[in-house]
Amino acid sequence: MSSMSSKSDGEMSKGIPNLAKKPFDKASFVLRFTLLSMLVLTIFSFISFDYKDIRVFAAIGEAINNLVAMFSKAQFTNFTFQDALLAVLVTICLALLTTVFGAVIALFFGLLAARNLSSPLLSSLIKGGVAFIRAVPTVLWVLIFAVPAGLGSVAAVIGMTFHSIGYLIKAYSESFEELDKGMIEALRSSGAGWWHIVFQAVIPSSKSYLMSWTFMRFEINCGAAVAMGAAAGAGGVGFDMFMASSFYLDMREVGAITWLILLFALVMETSATHLKNKLK
Amino acid sequence: MTALLELKHVAKKYNTGTMALSDVNFSVSKGEFVSIIGPSGAGKSTLIRCINRLIDASGGEVRLDGVNVLNLNKRALQQTRVKIGMIFQHYNLVERLSVIDNVLHGRLGYKNVITGSLGIYTSDEKKQAIEILHSLGLEEQVYKRCDQLSGGQKQRVGIARALIQEPKLLLCDEPIASLDPNASKVIMDHLRSICSRLGITVLVNLHQVDVAMKYSDTIIGMRKGSVVYNGSAQGMKAETIFDIYGSEASDLGIEIGVTHAS
Repeated sequence: MSSMSSKSDGEMSKGIPNLAKKPFDKASFVLRFTLLSMLVLTIFSFISFDYKDIRVFAAIGEAINNLVAMFSKAQFTNFTFQDALLAVLVTICLALLTTVFGAVIALFFGLLAARNLSSPLLSSLIKGGVAFIRAVPTVLWVLIFAVPAGLGSVAAVIGMTFHSIGYLIKAYSESFEELDKGMIEALRSSGAGWWHIVFQAVIPSSKSYLMSWTFMRFEINCGAAVAMGAAAGAGGVGFDMFMASSFYLDMREVGAITWLILLFALVMETSATHLKNKLK
Repeated sequence: MTALLELKHVAKKYNTGTMALSDVNFSVSKGEFVSIIGPSGAGKSTLIRCINRLIDASGGEVRLDGVNVLNLNKRALQQTRVKIGMIFQHYNLVERLSVIDNVLHGRLGYKNVITGSLGIYTSDEKKQAIEILHSLGLEEQVYKRCDQLSGGQKQRVGIARALIQEPKLLLCDEPIASLDPNASKVIMDHLRSICSRLGITVLVNLHQVDVAMKYSDTIIGMRKGSVVYNGSAQGMKAETIFDIYGSEASDLGIEIGVTHAS
């Protein structure tokens, strides 16, 4: 297809001897201008930094050395491997719990927010509220809920669930809106009710989308759960990592925990892909 | 013959201001095979959707068995829709589900919220579904997923889904517009036999005038939202075609006077 079109282009240009100069293209001009000004700003800021007594190149070299040491000589000192494993499990449980809560609640509201399954008023009402929830980051929600619940796992669960709901309602309702209108029309024309249509047509057709969005959110929640361990004292591997880095100042332990988290992320990613392929 | 369906002064004005239908009157007797023909945008699809209120008409009366469909509340409307089967140009099946699941969807109108949502069907209903699929020649596709079927097969699944409703009236919105001539003939033959053997009234939107004349008892010609012809297939003349399409029948390659199929 592409070879054909390029061939015909070649023949076309042969027919026109003096090709007109390329016309001014505003979009590409703006793009180039932006990139260029960003480059200039970057160079300028590096030159104008206040470096104090730090010798930049030596410092970069040492930072790299530190990183290499962190990951190549990773080692547990203050915790045992079992402790760390348990902590990772706590973190994953936090992510799982908030994702499941979020998914169940979002499924219902997602149906009400989908334009093809709900009234326009209700749909825009929910979508507006959800946009507000999503605009505030997860960490902030946790800190907001820490006021009534106190810093700790309860605030983390409520706050993370809240943001998950906001995220998943949008994702779910958009998956529902993508569905074939005719399918819903056909069931309506046969006298089927709203719940019939939802469970017999809408959910079976959007199952794989729902699954992949939920996994996506689970991954995000895993990351958030690590951060919450440190920021909100929710426990888990995030808290251990926080202790290792700022209390014990033990780089090798930080490295070991990072490896462990990476390993779990890999396992989860593979199993998610596997599960999705099975659903299709 | 008694009138099963009666339309009186039906009008539909869209929010955009276009009059899709204006003062449509006709009646359909029980067991009749009626085709609605007309150019694209004449209001055929709107008309057929006004009958089961997928689109709400803005005026007039649609009487099914003497009951005005336009006045029904939600519950009564659902019960009326159960009696009206519908098939579509794009089949409108749930492609990810199996053929039998899709056919059984036709029974949802008879179910309460719980059994319908969970998809619990009685063994009689399942037997009936298999029988209908057999009669439409789909016995080998019963457990296949619908996205593996050809267009003609999908349309037959659509017919099966409508038939299991045990409808009095079958509405068909351009059932053969996306099908090749062979599959079209199969579908039209099935529709014709549904009408003559099961006594179900069939109302079909068609683009193919020759097909309409071959299969129908009555033809309704529409143009710009109004009925311009309502009479027997044999009564169609060259002027009728001109009235409907604004072109000469000979230019359109339509032969007048092809006889009835069944």
